[in-house]
Parts: sequence; C-alpha cells; structure tokens
Amino acid sequence: MENGAVTQSEGKDPSGFLSEIIGNPVTVKLNSGVVYKGELQSVDGYMNIALEKTEEFVNGVKRRNYGDAFVRGNNVMYISAD
Amino acid sequence: MASQLLPLELIDKCVGSRIWVVMKGDKEFTGTLVGFDDYVNMVLEDVTEFDYSGTHTKLKKILLNGNNICMLIPGGEGPTGIAAS
Amino acid sequence: MAEPRDETSGTVSEPLDLVRLLLDEVVCVKLRGDRELKGRLHAYDSHCNLVLGDVEETIYVVDEEDEEDVKTISKKSEMLFVRGDSVVLISPQTVSF
Repeated sequence: MENGAVTQSEGKDPSGFLSEIIGNPVTVKLNSGVVYKGELQSVDGYMNIALEKTEEFVNGVKRRNYGDAFVRGNNVMYISAD
Repeated sequence: MASQLLPLELIDKCVGSRIWVVMKGDKEFTGTLVGFDDYVNMVLEDVTEFDYSGTHTKLKKILLNGNNICMLIPGGEGPTGIAAS
Repeated sequence: MAEPRDETSGTVSEPLDLVRLLLDEVVCVKLRGDRELKGRLHAYDSHCNLVLGDVEETIYVVDEEDEEDVKTISKKSEMLFVRGDSVVLISPQTVSF
C-alpha cells in the first residue's frame, strides 16, 4: 500500500455525524450511567455538549428537568440520535 | 518482508461492517461501523449496548467516545451473539 | 469547528457559550462524587474551572446497607473555586424536580 494514511468516507466520520444531528433530540449517556435527553445545541472537540429542554435520568428513573445544560465532555460515553 | 497492517487500517477495513466494541469496565457495544476519527471516536449504526447487568439496549445511531474503548473485534456479534439476529 | 463569536453575542455556537451566558447568574453545578453546588457564577475558563459566590454545596450520601436511604449534607461558603475536572454539568438554576 503506497498511502499508509487512513482514508475516510465523506461526512460519515464523527464530526460529520455531529453536524448532522445538531438541533435534533438526542440521548447522552455518561460514564456514570446517568442519561440526559434533550435537544442538541452544540458540541465541541472535547465532546463538551450544550443541551436544551434537558431531562435527567438516573437508573432509568427521571430525576430532573434543566432548561439548558452544559455537559463536560470527559464524562460522555456516547451521544445517540433519537 | 510481509506488509504490515497498521491498527487503524484494520479499523478502516471494518467501515460498513459489524464490529464489537469492548469498553474499559463492564460495557460492550455491537453495531455497524459508519466512521471514526484519529481518537477512535466511532459512529455506529443499529447498535446494541450490553450492560454489566446483562440487559441490552438498542440504539439507532451513536457517536461513541473513544476515551473508554478497550478493544475492537471486527465482525463481532457481541458477548452472546444475540446482536446478530 | 465553531467560529469565534463576539463576547456580547447571545448565540450558542459552541457549548462553552452556554456557560458564558450564565455569568453573574445563579447556576447549578453537578460534580463527580454526588455533589452539587448552587451559587452565582463569577468566572470560568475553558477547563471549566469555576469561581462561584454565595455557594450552597449539597453532598448526597447513600447508606451502605440501605441504598434507598440517601442523606444530604449541606455546606455554605462565601466564595469557592472549583477545579474543572470534577465538573459534570452546569445549568441555570434547576427548573423543576
């Protein structure tokens, strides 16, 4: 193989996925198991997340509502498009 | 000399096919690999999340943080093989 | 990814813009280790290091034998520095429980 660099299909990589789901309802799961559901306002390179109309679930049980929420990226396990 | 396959090239070969992701700790995912970046953050489709408690959750499409990934198994069907059906 | 915006703009083009909009407001901060802070946000940086004023800290202590039994401990302080790596979530004061 003459080109050792990893090639990627257009718009299918993580940043393409993120721009695709901005403004949509998402589920964010943290490493602690806590789940946030809300509308995705923005994400940055650290996976810091801004959510709107956020609901918090602990052990699958709804705990709280937050109007807006900033989640620090290091706690994020995954972001799922609903 | 046999040509070497770099680790990320192996993952690149998996794009479009099923993959089994084992996380640090007791969590595992299977899904179709849509894409990934240099940090091995991964976009997965038709995902099953396997919990330590044995429960599994279906997810349509996710961005999985690469930070806590431990191992990737191409073509893997997950801890039980249930995911394939 | 996100273009820099001018400081006064009210838009959220990257997540930390949301925190910028909370400056001088009362915020709720969730920390690692089942702790929460409620106080006025005086300052923050890109690591999420925070300076909070008039803070009430709540610590949730789960009983070892009966996990249903959760006690809370409250502490108050005039001014507090929070190291960013313990921050989980920042939001305007909770809307509802």
